[in-house]
Amino acid sequence: MLQVVLLFAWTLVIVFLAFLACNFEDQESDIGSQSNPNSMVQLAPQVGQIHRFFNKAISGEPISNALYCGTAGMVTWITLSWLEPLVPDAKWKAAVVAIPMGLLASSMIHTIFATTAHCGRIAAQKRFQQPIYLDVFYGHLLPIATHGFMTTFCIICIAYFQSNIGYLAGGGVNSPMNHPFALPLLAFIWGITVGSIGSSTGDVHYGTEREFQDRPFGEGKRVIYHGRITRYADCGIRTQKDIAGFCCKFGGPCTGLTFGFIILLEDWRTLVGMKLAGFLTALPGITRAEQMYIPQGDMAAIWGIILGLIIIAAWIVINMIFVKWIRAKCGPFVGP
Amino acid sequence: MAIEPELIYIVVYVTIGGVLGSLAAHLCPVGGAPAAMGTATGIATGTIQILLGAVVTGLFTAATVSTFTNNIVLVMISGAVGATIMMQVTMFFANILYGFGCGITPTSGRVAVDPITKADQTSYKTPQTDGHGIPDVVFISGTLGGFSGGAGGALMYYTLLHYAHFTYGTAVIAALGIFVASAIIASYNIRGTIEGFQDPKFKRVHLALIPTVVISILCSLVVVIATIALRGA
Amino acid sequence: MAAEEKKAEEKKPEEKKVEEEVVEAKPKITDHFKFPPDETGLAIIAGVICVLATIFTALPAVIKGLGLILATLWGADCVRKTSKYGLGTGVPSIGVMAIGYGVIGAILGLAFARYGNVGQIFPGVLLGVVLMGLIGLVSGYFSNSVKWIAMKIPRLERAMMELGMAGTFANLLMYSIVTGSLRFDAVVTWVMDTGVIAFMFILGVLAMAHPYNACLGPDERRERTLLVPVEITGLICIILGFSMLVLGTSPFHAVWDGMSLIVFGLIVWVVFYTRYIKTCMKECYATVGTGLIKTID
Repeated sequence: MLQVVLLFAWTLVIVFLAFLACNFEDQESDIGSQSNPNSMVQLAPQVGQIHRFFNKAISGEPISNALYCGTAGMVTWITLSWLEPLVPDAKWKAAVVAIPMGLLASSMIHTIFATTAHCGRIAAQKRFQQPIYLDVFYGHLLPIATHGFMTTFCIICIAYFQSNIGYLAGGGVNSPMNHPFALPLLAFIWGITVGSIGSSTGDVHYGTEREFQDRPFGEGKRVIYHGRITRYADCGIRTQKDIAGFCCKFGGPCTGLTFGFIILLEDWRTLVGMKLAGFLTALPGITRAEQMYIPQGDMAAIWGIILGLIIIAAWIVINMIFVKWIRAKCGPFVGP
Repeated sequence: MAIEPELIYIVVYVTIGGVLGSLAAHLCPVGGAPAAMGTATGIATGTIQILLGAVVTGLFTAATVSTFTNNIVLVMISGAVGATIMMQVTMFFANILYGFGCGITPTSGRVAVDPITKADQTSYKTPQTDGHGIPDVVFISGTLGGFSGGAGGALMYYTLLHYAHFTYGTAVIAALGIFVASAIIASYNIRGTIEGFQDPKFKRVHLALIPTVVISILCSLVVVIATIALRGA
Repeated sequence: MAAEEKKAEEKKPEEKKVEEEVVEAKPKITDHFKFPPDETGLAIIAGVICVLATIFTALPAVIKGLGLILATLWGADCVRKTSKYGLGTGVPSIGVMAIGYGVIGAILGLAFARYGNVGQIFPGVLLGVVLMGLIGLVSGYFSNSVKWIAMKIPRLERAMMELGMAGTFANLLMYSIVTGSLRFDAVVTWVMDTGVIAFMFILGVLAMAHPYNACLGPDERRERTLLVPVEITGLICIILGFSMLVLGTSPFHAVWDGMSLIVFGLIVWVVFYTRYIKTCMKECYATVGTGLIKTID
């Protein structure tokens, strides 16, 4: 018996996991110096500033997060398809074994790609006299793997819940509420999204604020500053471990809030649309093939779209208010 | 073999989807690596990175909706709304990070006065930068870009699902493949950074539309041949 | 076919020997040793071996894995050729484009596989490869031509054509490894609907885009860069071998085929990964345990 309350409750669990996932995604891109601010770490030796940063350049965050989550999803799914027939009455037992195995494979692949990226990039900067510091190299591998593990764990759990949400809400093993995509595909999709969001939001805190900590607060970083990153820390020479500890105070949670809001507004809106159209009450007793042709389905989609358009208009207004407020608070640019 | 209407629909809809995707690549404001350092206006990442993220979110919503409705307009707009919400929330939180984390006000570097709210831009801009943050007109441009990209991706997905009779997994991966094929050609046109429709670079959009149309038609013909071959056996 | 495969196998120990000489001699890049064959030579060898490995789906998985190594080498070489001149949007986008084309070409190839097949031999899939090469050529023309996008990268048309073909081959070989055949319904059941395609997509992208991206810099050297796609393909083979063990779809005895692919992948990965890291550490400016930094004005 499909319980509507459980559907909404599991969606909230997914939203919470989404918050954690993107929080750790931003941390992982700080502890390994990935994506856009990494261009400064790449530029630093070229302007004569030797550094002790970990130059992890795995083709940008969406693709690298799709790698970790896609690999974990695939290995998890393969293990599930091997173990689930053994425990037909308690599917969760198979998940408890399968998900960590997938994450193990993903973490190992993550570490391997991180090592090849760092060694390759530093080796290609020979003429700028940038050495490979082995303590930087070895000392960051485990933090990178750990933060990546946390991101991937949350995303795999989200994918598992979404592909089984009808079953978890009591609707039977092949409930039509289960998402039609398989687990690896869902993990891949959320991996791309999580990487995209972390690359656009959290990296700003790393790139503008922490990387140029000794420049004035309150201005964009001028072109002449590029490459001259802050390499000396509060006590000694800065590495990624100093960066992650700073960015976890603001950049990480903000990025987490972004993805959490997006999942909330997507999944919650769809479910509310279904409820308003009476689709969920019409659901028991029809199969997945039939559910496309009942009229409540069209109404559910229309309600979802109306709610979505209201949300879009609301965000435009919210952004306008925020921009006006921050301009009034900070005022025009003063100084040289 | 007779040319059935379904095959014509495949070619027409996939081409329209490709054009929408190409338009989205030009409307989405991206500042690239400089924006992450507060040196350029726009989202602090590359075109393909943010566009892929928005389009797969739109595809996810469109796939959910396509399980309980088979109306093409509803699926397309659901995908569009999903992608737009993703772009908007991302842009808004980027503004929060610029404002509170770095003390930077959103301002454009390409126009002196905001075309929509008529707010002054130059006096808020840091000298020797190209603007920073996501001001109002850039936000609207991003909204339109997300809407267009999501609609294009969802349209391609619906076409492959219902007219080429692929299954869910095949349809979404094939839709993603055709979408990136056209969007990447368009992203070469903007050379890495664009501020939105107010940017002078936006006037080059017509140069990317014809290549996108040609490549989308060729890819859709490939899908048509595959559909005919599958049906023939 | 056997002679060509033997030639490819012989090239591998040759390559390892030459690489050792190079590393000890603190290299000055000379052009009298060809490791691997130059860009055109690599394209021809990879093309021939991939065609053979794709059409004959009854081959053991290890031979298909070898074909996959050559396909990713070819793709990574093409990405390197174009990105050296500055694509503007970055290296990953061209890798995504290659595999995106590859998926469409593979679907077409699979749809045509049933025409003209003789038992386990499917020559019809080559139509997908050829058409994708054509589409790659067209997109290269539009990207480079002065009337349109005008990227002005030399030989971009040829590189995009080769990327379309390499992407299609990589996709087809991965499907062939997991499902053991190239019938459309088998591939849809085991690869597309199960989501395994997502893994193949992203690792195909990274096998082509990561090598040049990871070795980006003014002292980048082609031989060192081309060690990376082989190493990544080793990783792909390990995980695909594991999936073969569980799904059991191989035309041979599933356990032996899967285990042999895992062992092959492991050996390839260990050899090329250790070679790559050692080469990087020898060829960089200095490898120190720890140290202070300096500022050069």
